[in-house]
Amino acid sequence: MKKKANIAWYLLFVLPLVLIFTTVVIIPFIIGIGYSFFEWDGMRLNEKIFIGFDNFAKLLTDANFLTSAGKTILFTLFAIVAINILGLAFALIVTSKLKVRNVARTMLFMPYLIGGLILGYVWKFIFSDVFSSLGESTGITGVFFNWLLNSKFALVALIIVATWQMAGYIMIIYITGIQGIPEEVTEAAKVDGAGFWQTLLKIKFPLIMPSFTICLFLTVSNCFKIYDVNLALTAGGPARSTEMFAMNIYNEIFSLSNYGYGQAKAIVFFIVVAIITLIQVSITKKKEVVM
Amino acid sequence: MKMKKMLSVLLGIMLIASMILTGCKTKETNNNKDEETKTATETGTETATEEPVVESAKKIVVFQSKVEIIDQLEAAAAEYKAETGVEVEVWGTTGDDYLQQLKLKLNNNEGPTVFSLAPGSESDELAAYLADLSDVSFVGDIAANMADESEGKVVGIPYTVEGFGVVYNKDLIDASKMTSTEAFATMLKDQKAAGINGFSLSQESYFLIGHILNTPFALQADAKTYVEDLIAGKVKMQDTKEFVEFAQVMEAVRENTQNPLEVNYDKETGDFATGKSASIHQGNWAYGMFKDYNVGFEMGMMGLPLNGNQSIAVSVPTCWYVNSQASEAEIQAGKEFLEWMYTSKTGQRYLTEEFGFIPVLTTMVSTSLDPLSQEVARLTAEGKTIGWPMNAYWPAGIVDVYLVPVAQEFFTTDMTGEEFLAALTDAFVQAGK
Repeated sequence: MKKKANIAWYLLFVLPLVLIFTTVVIIPFIIGIGYSFFEWDGMRLNEKIFIGFDNFAKLLTDANFLTSAGKTILFTLFAIVAINILGLAFALIVTSKLKVRNVARTMLFMPYLIGGLILGYVWKFIFSDVFSSLGESTGITGVFFNWLLNSKFALVALIIVATWQMAGYIMIIYITGIQGIPEEVTEAAKVDGAGFWQTLLKIKFPLIMPSFTICLFLTVSNCFKIYDVNLALTAGGPARSTEMFAMNIYNEIFSLSNYGYGQAKAIVFFIVVAIITLIQVSITKKKEVVM
Repeated sequence: MKMKKMLSVLLGIMLIASMILTGCKTKETNNNKDEETKTATETGTETATEEPVVESAKKIVVFQSKVEIIDQLEAAAAEYKAETGVEVEVWGTTGDDYLQQLKLKLNNNEGPTVFSLAPGSESDELAAYLADLSDVSFVGDIAANMADESEGKVVGIPYTVEGFGVVYNKDLIDASKMTSTEAFATMLKDQKAAGINGFSLSQESYFLIGHILNTPFALQADAKTYVEDLIAGKVKMQDTKEFVEFAQVMEAVRENTQNPLEVNYDKETGDFATGKSASIHQGNWAYGMFKDYNVGFEMGMMGLPLNGNQSIAVSVPTCWYVNSQASEAEIQAGKEFLEWMYTSKTGQRYLTEEFGFIPVLTTMVSTSLDPLSQEVARLTAEGKTIGWPMNAYWPAGIVDVYLVPVAQEFFTTDMTGEEFLAALTDAFVQAGK
């Protein structure tokens, strides 16, 4: 009897979410897979033409899509490293005995609270206007020029802004991980004569492995899907050098009205992100230790 | 006992869910009904004229892309309500994603009754959503070739005419000398030597490449065939005289003026109004930007002198359309609103004075044109106009997605004019696929 009541409670809490998830994620996703086999401009009254796997075949020869994929992978690699190193460093700093740690924590988390679009516009101003006038007044034009007009530096700028936004959020997750380490363990290490680096690498890192799993997962998927910062900062320019996956798909569907083809891109994009994150999670999961 | 309670809660949820779902269902059937009656009346109008008078709706929604007139349009809607009792709700937009928003709304059957589109590839794409406006009373008065027609029926009513070309400062540039590409390039050099920016584009997609690339297309004997041949790979810009000269102009611009990617619309117009730039590539819509400045010089408009061209590009930028998927009563109300705007005294006052439109009806005159619109009217009267193949024939979406990256590359690297043309040709081939 009791067990059945539990199941009913369970259903009560899970069912609404399952319903919502099904209607806004699963069903559109399945319909989306269907659309990827059609040539269609997205308007209900206009004709849909079934073309089988042609959309997917076209992907392989689409130079713009492939360069965009390359750029996204490059961006994601650098951004993950930068975000996690910075986030972890921030977490270690604000969990130390620093006097201003609470203020620092708030300040470091702040960028995450600003929307990506606004952040993008703020940094656009910095990288283009502030940098070029700094270059003019100081004469150091090697560093201070309009970064957004140089295809390599524009990508670097995008990485910097993404890091600036995400690092604070990742920091919070690392903080909870670090705070979860029992004091006895670190104290025992200290008594045994372990230095800062030894404690960090041998004690703290293995114990916060679950945080690594979460943080890497979040950064990988977020960096792959980045759109708002991309749109506000560079809008893909100059000359497509910073056009990420998501923007390429958006443009295909909404600017060029190739609904079916864009949908095919999105499906491929989903599969790629899913595979990469699954591999990452399974690897880092294995490294987690139980106390 | 507990379980029973739980079950009743669950049942409640199911009930609500099923209500929501059936709610959707009934709505759908309603829509279908609308469509049916609509097609029925459509065939009806073709055969018989003594169709029963349709009661028009008491409220319609207007959604349109011209950001500059939104406040004025709302004022007009308020007066319309005062005069007729019909409420006109004006939806705002930031302009950039108007078309995407419109498509989403049309697709969800939440479309506005009256909306705007650029006649040409945009209106072709949405042809199924455009109601027949042939029976609107003033359609016959629309100036020749200006209404948007589809299969012999008038579907779009033009807003205004707009013209763009080289807007220049008469104190700094003598238009009578600008008769060739070389003269234009020399002018840029001379202005640079004098410390003035000779000519300015700006970073926004159409101001960067869309409008200026329109000129060599419009100068072709048959722009439509030219675009088709270009996409099919039969012709190349590199081999066409007007385009080669266009590339020469662009090279001269890159060499002698500030980088357009660092200039936005505000700066472009502001620098011109304060005399820092001698000319800009803009249209009569830009005059609104000069109102805040004390412009101390006379300005004029001239064509970009490619192959001796003297004409500016003049056409209808936007038309009003009525949503064919709206209910019959709404369609009727939408038509009445347009009628009021184009034929009543108040409506006409809004069109010419508040919106600053150049009249498109032969029966209308405007006495309050700004200097740039006067230039457009003058050049039109002199016959010095070319068309807008960019709206009519270019593949939809090409400017933002394909042409802008090429232009950005041109302005940030030292690619030659010929490579530039090759890349643009490629862009057309890709976009047209």
